[in-house]
Amino acid sequence: MAKRTGFNLLFYSFNLMITLTILCFILFAVVLVLLNGFGHIWNVLQTAEINFALGLSLKTSFISTFLCALAALPMAYCLAGYRLPGRHILNLIIKIPLAMPPIVSGVCLLLVFGTTSLGNILSALGVKLIFTVTGIIVAQFFVNLPYLVVVIKAAIEDVDPRLEFVARTLGCNQFQAFTRVTLPLIKNGLLAGLVITWAKSLGEFGAVLMLAGATRMRTETLPISLYLNLTVGDMDAVMAVAAILIIISIISLFVFELLGKREHSRLTGL
Amino acid sequence: MLKLAGVNKKLAGFHLQDINLEVKPKEFFVILGPTGSGKTVLLECLAGMYRLDSGRIFFAGKEITHCPPESRQIGFVYQDYALFPHLNVRQNILFGLKCRKMPADQRKEKLIRICGLLGINPLLDRFPGTLSGGEQQRVALARALVMEPQMLLLDEPMSALDPRTRENFQRVLRRMQKDTGILTIHVTHDFEEAAFLADRIAVMHRGRLEQTGTPEEIFKRPASLFAARFTGAPNVFTGEVLRYNGHQVIRTGHLRLPVQTGLTGPVGFVLHPEYLELLRTPLDKSNCFPGRVIAVYQKRYFYEVTVKVDQLMLYMPVAGNNSHRSSLPGAGDEVWCRILPGGLHFFPLEDASINL
Repeated sequence: MAKRTGFNLLFYSFNLMITLTILCFILFAVVLVLLNGFGHIWNVLQTAEINFALGLSLKTSFISTFLCALAALPMAYCLAGYRLPGRHILNLIIKIPLAMPPIVSGVCLLLVFGTTSLGNILSALGVKLIFTVTGIIVAQFFVNLPYLVVVIKAAIEDVDPRLEFVARTLGCNQFQAFTRVTLPLIKNGLLAGLVITWAKSLGEFGAVLMLAGATRMRTETLPISLYLNLTVGDMDAVMAVAAILIIISIISLFVFELLGKREHSRLTGL
Repeated sequence: MLKLAGVNKKLAGFHLQDINLEVKPKEFFVILGPTGSGKTVLLECLAGMYRLDSGRIFFAGKEITHCPPESRQIGFVYQDYALFPHLNVRQNILFGLKCRKMPADQRKEKLIRICGLLGINPLLDRFPGTLSGGEQQRVALARALVMEPQMLLLDEPMSALDPRTRENFQRVLRRMQKDTGILTIHVTHDFEEAAFLADRIAVMHRGRLEQTGTPEEIFKRPASLFAARFTGAPNVFTGEVLRYNGHQVIRTGHLRLPVQTGLTGPVGFVLHPEYLELLRTPLDKSNCFPGRVIAVYQKRYFYEVTVKVDQLMLYMPVAGNNSHRSSLPGAGDEVWCRILPGGLHFFPLEDASINL
């Protein structure tokens, strides 16, 4: 390219400067927390409270991610493939929770399960959601499900629908065509979506706070623990928990990027 | 036998209209039409991809209108082959047999037979993305044929092949179809290909079947202006049939050709080149017309002479052996054109403003 001069040079430098400044700031902020917290991670993991919070976070996030997968696959398949009347509206409905602050989602869940007959029936059946561990799972599930649906739906839409049709002319029923053709083809997208869903479940704060509360050693996940420790001024614990969450996020991001490289991208034109 | 009765299907921006069709057992049937005429949708309707808006489909004595694709026993080969990209060639071919839970030894036997037939043994461990168009096509055909379907649907399977591969494959396909006797419906926009392969052809235009017949019937006696032009018939014109001095004539430009036809008013017609004779001096006044040679092109075995008679540009072949070379007219020569009896074919004009 020819040498940039005059106004072009100014424009180029301005864009580059803004970009580099913000990226440096992000890196600085993250590294700052990591440096402050890293030394304390081992120590706080010895304490009963953080140990409990880590265990509870892992347990609830795995369960809610698993439940998300169970619900998101059929939903994504249905919204991507079925020629439903008003499917544009259905696609909008699933995105509403994505646009809402999680803490508002939490308020919605609190009202649904706390004040309606649905909540009464569930609690009569022994399913107590408010201020319980089950509530944490439910909050994580509802906040992250739409995200996973959108990711899987995009992956399914990338698959040529004629492939399933050909599978059916070869004798597969709809379920077999899905499991033998579409599912293997969206495998990477699905795994990437699950990793991010899990990371988001682990870090979910607002909705969990609303529905399950912030009770020490009862509904104390890692983000809740961070909040509780901040309120009592235990900065070592805050930094350590923050560092743990950052490390998990970065690892998830790498896995996501790795899986995001489409396995069959070399087959363009198919 | 396959029978379609009043099939209608409306898709976004496209309408398959009132398709009535009968295909005989063991027939190689070609649907000929331009891109966007609805050929692929018709095949997909046959294979069960869409629910019909109306109409019924019968096959081998049963109604299959509401059968799911998996119980129709129809093999389908798409234009771009639609191989499963996550499976290698062997897995692609065996896909259907595994769905059907056929024992492994039987699967192997069938795989060996079909691979021998289509010459794809060296490809078995490769993935579709590494295959050439011709190789992908043979694999797609093997994947369909290994199921021993009752009917084979081919959606422009030749269009992505280079001319030589295409010619080879046409021969292979034709021979295989005759050997196996499987009812085959093949879609193409190429009349030469259709004429080579087909027992019968249906011409499709804007979601309708315009004409059904043998290749010769379609070519010699097109039923519409579209059919005439799309099959590449030379000397296709329009005119008006009327009575003149007590005789039936067709008027086109300043010309009046004596004709015999049941049609009246605006018509289309084909002047078959092999019924045109080029003369230096007029013979029979009523059927001889003066013209001027516009161009002479050398083809492989003959010369193609273009003569302008009134407003009509007539193409006619002239035998090209050496003894005739000196008697060939040159561009600019004044000549006479004689139309031999039987050289005219008429068809009604359904839409005078049609264009291709």
